[in-house]
Amino acid sequence: MNKILILLTLAIVAAIIFFVPPIKGLGDLAKIIFFHVPTAWVSVIAFFVSAFYAAKFLRTFNFSFDKLSARAARLGFIFVLLSTISGAIFSKLTWGAYWNWDPRQTTIFVLILIYGAYLTLRAAVSDEKTRAKVSAVYSLLSVLTVPFLVFIIPRMYFSLHPSPVLNSAGRVEMDSIVLIVLIAAVVDATLIFVQLMRREIS
Amino acid sequence: MKLFNSRFEQIAAIVRKDFLIGLRRRATFAAMMMFALTAVASLSLSTGGIFVEEKFLAALLWVVIFFAASAGISGTFDDEAQAGTLPTLKLYADAQAILFGKMIYVFLSLAALTIFILPIFLILFDVAVEKIFLLLMTILLGLIGIAAAGTLTAALTTSATVKGGLFPILLFPITLPIFLPAIRLTEISFAGGVFDISLIVVVAVFDLILITAASILFDYL
Repeated sequence: MNKILILLTLAIVAAIIFFVPPIKGLGDLAKIIFFHVPTAWVSVIAFFVSAFYAAKFLRTFNFSFDKLSARAARLGFIFVLLSTISGAIFSKLTWGAYWNWDPRQTTIFVLILIYGAYLTLRAAVSDEKTRAKVSAVYSLLSVLTVPFLVFIIPRMYFSLHPSPVLNSAGRVEMDSIVLIVLIAAVVDATLIFVQLMRREIS
Repeated sequence: MKLFNSRFEQIAAIVRKDFLIGLRRRATFAAMMMFALTAVASLSLSTGGIFVEEKFLAALLWVVIFFAASAGISGTFDDEAQAGTLPTLKLYADAQAILFGKMIYVFLSLAALTIFILPIFLILFDVAVEKIFLLLMTILLGLIGIAAAGTLTAALTTSATVKGGLFPILLFPITLPIFLPAIRLTEISFAGGVFDISLIVVVAVFDLILITAASILFDYL
């Protein structure tokens, strides 16, 4: 599985460098979007995975669920940082500024804060039982902000961010090869996440 | 020992207990008030004489309330945790009564904080409030949300060995859905103009969500 993933990742990187046509007027660095979209996707997935295992832990008090929840959060934290940085670079290229609190930037920043708070809480509680309970409760509590971040914030503030999966605005023209590569990259990133989650159990 | 029968009696007894302890040891209360006063004074001093936009003022007010609240309510469960009396308390009252008793007490302390700091804030920054009712409504709803999330967060941080700064870190992302609309509403109450009723609905709904979630999750602690 690992070898296949490495090959797939290399193939996608090669496709991004050699096959994907350069994005009009943005230069080669704009291809960072192929890194940004998959990492953003995984950081959101990891957040829900962490909360899912937190709920499972609270129902069963099985500590392996706590470990999975923590693992997902740690991975999510790394992915959300990568996604934020790559997003900021793309934002500089397209909007002219690294950061302007666009709704999606707000959302991703709150996600960083939640991951950070969760991991800080884990680090701050030394008793294993208490830590598992307390962090599971916090994980579920933080899920409550999701509907707000997804539905309310975009209504309150105007967004320049392209629609999440496909760009209908036509600012970055997507032909089929771009779309295929992007979807492949998202699948690849998800598989990497799944693989990293599985490694921890065994 | 008198046993409390109804849940309301239990809740009232816990509020009264915390209130008496709070009066006896005024340190927490005094710290919260002085924190707010220091924050407002330093902000007002450093911006003295400059015209500060309403948007910025509204944000400042909520930042002051947030951090003063953090200073004041992070130790909500510390007395019981230190003395080891939480299990005993749970014998006399059920967990939900403890949670709601604490929540009401936290809300009352936050209300006292706001009654103290809001007039000072308005005077020092020379704010002419256009819509006083909207401002009070916003603060009331905001404080309910902070009290609900803050009580549960305080229960989470009680067992932490490293406490410094942990409470606001945990509380902020959870209460952000309250702060953003509340700051917008506060800005409108300062500056006047039409406001979107749905913002109030958002805060109120999120208050309810937080209270419900705190009630459900507290049982697992």
